[in-house]
Amino acid sequence: MTDDRFEDELERAAQDYHRPPETPREEIWARITAERARRREARQAILFRPWVRWSLAAAAVLTLGVGIGRLTVPHGTADTGAAIGGRTGSDFAYRVAATQYLTRTEALLTDFRAEARTPQGGRPDAQFAAQARDLLVTTRLMLSSPAAKDQRLKSLLEDLEVMLAQIAQLAADRNGHDVEFINQGLDQRSVLLRLRAASPAPGTSARGAL
Amino acid sequence: MDERELIARVRAGDPSAERTLYDAHVDRVYRVAYRLAGDDELAREFTQETFIRAFARLDGFRGESALSTWLHSIAMSVALNGLRKMKRFRRREADLEEADAVATTRRESEPDLKRRLAHAIDELPEGYRTVFLLHDVEGYTHEEIAAALDVETGTSKAQLSRARAKLRETLADFAGEWTR
Repeated sequence: MTDDRFEDELERAAQDYHRPPETPREEIWARITAERARRREARQAILFRPWVRWSLAAAAVLTLGVGIGRLTVPHGTADTGAAIGGRTGSDFAYRVAATQYLTRTEALLTDFRAEARTPQGGRPDAQFAAQARDLLVTTRLMLSSPAAKDQRLKSLLEDLEVMLAQIAQLAADRNGHDVEFINQGLDQRSVLLRLRAASPAPGTSARGAL
Repeated sequence: MDERELIARVRAGDPSAERTLYDAHVDRVYRVAYRLAGDDELAREFTQETFIRAFARLDGFRGESALSTWLHSIAMSVALNGLRKMKRFRRREADLEEADAVATTRRESEPDLKRRLAHAIDELPEGYRTVFLLHDVEGYTHEEIAAALDVETGTSKAQLSRARAKLRETLADFAGEWTR
C-alpha cells in the first residue's frame, strides 16, 4: 500500500477513536457556574484564615521595619549586622518580623522536602505554593532592606528567592521532576543549614545573621 | 457581535456575553478533550476548567492571536496536565520496542482493526498522539496545533510524520486488509 493510501485509511479508521458524543452544553455550563461560585467563596474564606491574617500582619510589620531600618541605618555603615541587630528600639519590629520570616521559611522548606519524600509524594500540595508566594514577597522586602548588606545573609536570601519562586510555580504545572529539581537545589546549596544558622536560637538572645 | 466586542463585554462582567463566548467554542473544546481523554466525565471536567480559566484570565488576553487559538492553548494545557496528573497515561513515553512488544502480544487476542488501532494510538508518545488526534482526526491545521501547543509548526509536522510512521509499523499486518 502506498503511503498516501495508508494515511487516508488511517484517518478514516481513526475517526472512531474516542468518538465524542454530543456536547452536554447545559450540564457543563451549570458546572462552570457552580464551580466559579464555589471558588469565589473559597477565596473569601481564605482571607479569614489565621495564617493568612498572620502573614499579612507580618508583611506589614516587616515593611514598616524595613522603612525604619532604611531611615536609621547610617549611610556607609560597614557593620550592618551591628546596625540591624543593635539594641536601638527602632529596629525591634524589623528584627521580630525578620526572625518570624526565617522561621516560617525554614518550616515551609522542611515540610516541602518531607512531603516530597513520602511514598505517595513527589507532588506537594498546592498550599505550599500559596505559602511560598507569600514568603517570596517578604524575601524581596528583605533583599531591599539593610539586611542585604550582609553578604552572607544576602546570598542566603537570593537562594531562598529562587527556591520559593520555584515552589510558588508548582501549583500551575507541577510534576515529580520539578519537585526533585527543587530538592536538589536545597541540598546542593545547603539552604536549610544556612537558614538555621541565620535564625536566632529559640529562647536565646543569640542573633544569628540578624 | 464581533469578537472584540464580545471580549469587552465579558471583561465588563456581562453574564450573557460569557454564555455567548461559551456557546461559540464549547463544542470544539469538548471534542478535543474527549478525543484526548476518551472519557465523558474527564472531558466535561477539562472543558469546565478550560472555560473557568479563560474567564479568569481574559483580562490578560491581548488579542495577538484569535480568541479560539488562545482558548485552545488553555484547553490543551488543562487536558494534557490533567491526564498526566491522573497517571492514566504514564507509559505514554514507552519506547518503540516496548510498544511493539505489547501490540504484538495482543495481536491474537484483539484481531479487530479498530481495537488494534485504538491501542496503537494509546501507545503513541504523548506529543505524537496529541498532534495525530488534532490533525488527522479533528482536522486542525499545523498552524493551529503549533499555537495551541506552543511549539513550532515544523515540530507539529515532524510529530505527525513520526506518529503515522509508528502507526504504520505497528499496524503493518493490517495494511493488506485496507487494500481489499
